[in-house]
Amino acid sequence: MLNLHHAGLIDTPSLSPLHGEVRAGELLAIVGPNGAGKTTLLTLLSGFRHSQLGPVTLDGWFLDAWTPAALAGRRALVAQFEPTGFDWRVRDLVVLSGDPGDAAVAEIMGQLELSRLAGRGVLSLSGGERQRVMVARALCQLAAAPRDDKARDGGLLLLDEPTSALDIGQQQRMMRLLRRLAAERHMAVVGVLHDLNLAATYADRVWLMAAGKRVAHGTPDQVLETERLALTYRAELQALERDGAAPWLALKP
Amino acid sequence: MDMTLSHAGRGALPRRRLSHRLGVLGGLSLALLLALGWAASSGSLGISPVELVTGEVTAMDGRVWWQLRLPRLLLGVLVGAMLAGSGAAMQGLFRNPLADPTLLGLASGAGLCVAVWVVLFPGSDAFGLYGQFVAGFLGALGVCLLVFGLARRRAGSGAVLTLLLAGLAINTLAGAGGGLLAFLASDEQLRQLSLWGMGSLAHSLWGATLVALVLVPPALVALLRRARDLDLLQLGEATAHAAGLDGRRLTRRVVAATSLGVGVCVAVSGIIGFLGLLVPHCLRLWLGPGHRLLLPASMLGGALLLVVADGLARVLAMPAEMPVGLLTSLLGGPYFLYLLLRGRHGC
Repeated sequence: MLNLHHAGLIDTPSLSPLHGEVRAGELLAIVGPNGAGKTTLLTLLSGFRHSQLGPVTLDGWFLDAWTPAALAGRRALVAQFEPTGFDWRVRDLVVLSGDPGDAAVAEIMGQLELSRLAGRGVLSLSGGERQRVMVARALCQLAAAPRDDKARDGGLLLLDEPTSALDIGQQQRMMRLLRRLAAERHMAVVGVLHDLNLAATYADRVWLMAAGKRVAHGTPDQVLETERLALTYRAELQALERDGAAPWLALKP
Repeated sequence: MDMTLSHAGRGALPRRRLSHRLGVLGGLSLALLLALGWAASSGSLGISPVELVTGEVTAMDGRVWWQLRLPRLLLGVLVGAMLAGSGAAMQGLFRNPLADPTLLGLASGAGLCVAVWVVLFPGSDAFGLYGQFVAGFLGALGVCLLVFGLARRRAGSGAVLTLLLAGLAINTLAGAGGGLLAFLASDEQLRQLSLWGMGSLAHSLWGATLVALVLVPPALVALLRRARDLDLLQLGEATAHAAGLDGRRLTRRVVAATSLGVGVCVAVSGIIGFLGLLVPHCLRLWLGPGHRLLLPASMLGGALLLVVADGLARVLAMPAEMPVGLLTSLLGGPYFLYLLLRGRHGC
């Protein structure tokens, strides 16, 4: 659904030419070392930054050709949390960019285990709780859009490190939720991830970025080879075999 | 795919929220009406609206009331609403509860430009009067652009400090400019400038009030129409963009409306401090940070506070009167210090 033909440009000097496609119904993980251009890539996919030499298209339309409101109904972004000076109530923040109605909001907040926090001020929450609030907000935004063509797909969800502040139980539930959104709601889910094991366990496809270039892409077992990762990250890694799942990447002591 | 889909249902609020909104705004409006009734009948020229309607006043008193008191009341409403409303909007735009037209130097920038105009083109004919408004607008706009440019360059945690320091620098500069002008000014201009610098509604005549009546309401409406966009901006720029916000357009519109409104207010009433900080702050504690309620409530609350403060300014030192700007600064200064001391800006 989302096509990227990024041919190097003025607005994003840190990112090299890149052509790629994001499909509905799959969970795409973007991984890579610090400063590899992952967040830049995400803002490019979202249309916040412009690719002047190569267009980004969504459903066959250039991002620039969409009205902001129509685009907001098709794709949502969860950035790394930017603190706001104001103490929003969780329930108010969740429906800030779109209110799909009480029932749908309750369902989304339940999925992200926020029901209990609905009346709390967002400044009093922990980092992980805020992260889940922002994911719930993005889901409400997509759910609020009128969709006459519901059958087609559930929109595009872009997430920048959605699990960085979550405990392992929350990480598992978040990744399972993202998978479910891709599989059942037919969403295209793109997540910048730091945890390679999360990417290996849950992603359908992986893009590996390094120094502004996409150095590998494909299924997790094609991309996340121990040798390649050790080189890219300059880390000493060891792959531990698991039953019925991708090998677990561990750091050598 | 239909490219012009409007987001039906988004603007609509659930019923309980709608009634909450109406309750709050209705209550504030009622309080404002009561305050206007009190302010109309207080002071050395006390005529209650009831007496006016029933005609129990001398023709002379009535004329004076219509010529002096009524424009003053109207101006109090307009200036109070504009200062508090622009305070709320700027706080939303900077995503920071310490933004305020006075602290950021908007008011003093406008003030300096107006003072320059007054000293260089003395006289109160139409040319001089409207020149003041243009000067006020340009001064406010210049400072607004400068401050916003600085804030954008220093995004993140340093932004607040940069903003407040920029405001301090601008206020100091404007003070120095005012000092220079004091050298050039005649004795009468000097007195006019210093009284006006304290902020007062005492010089309100129909001429100035009519200009404010024409220019301030559009600025208020322009700000009110940006409420949802200001809400979205609180998510951060990239996220707000993905939620359908055109951030640059929002910035342009808020800066233009604020500069116009604050410039006009400063030109007619001088610098009335802290209203833009105080009112949105207190209301946010009560109503939460959502701009769809906060903006109109701030405007009503600002009008209410200024009408009451102006009434007090007339009553407290009868038969003389205090500049109302002194009163609001006496109120707002300590409150601002209290906020800083408490160290929690997040309300």
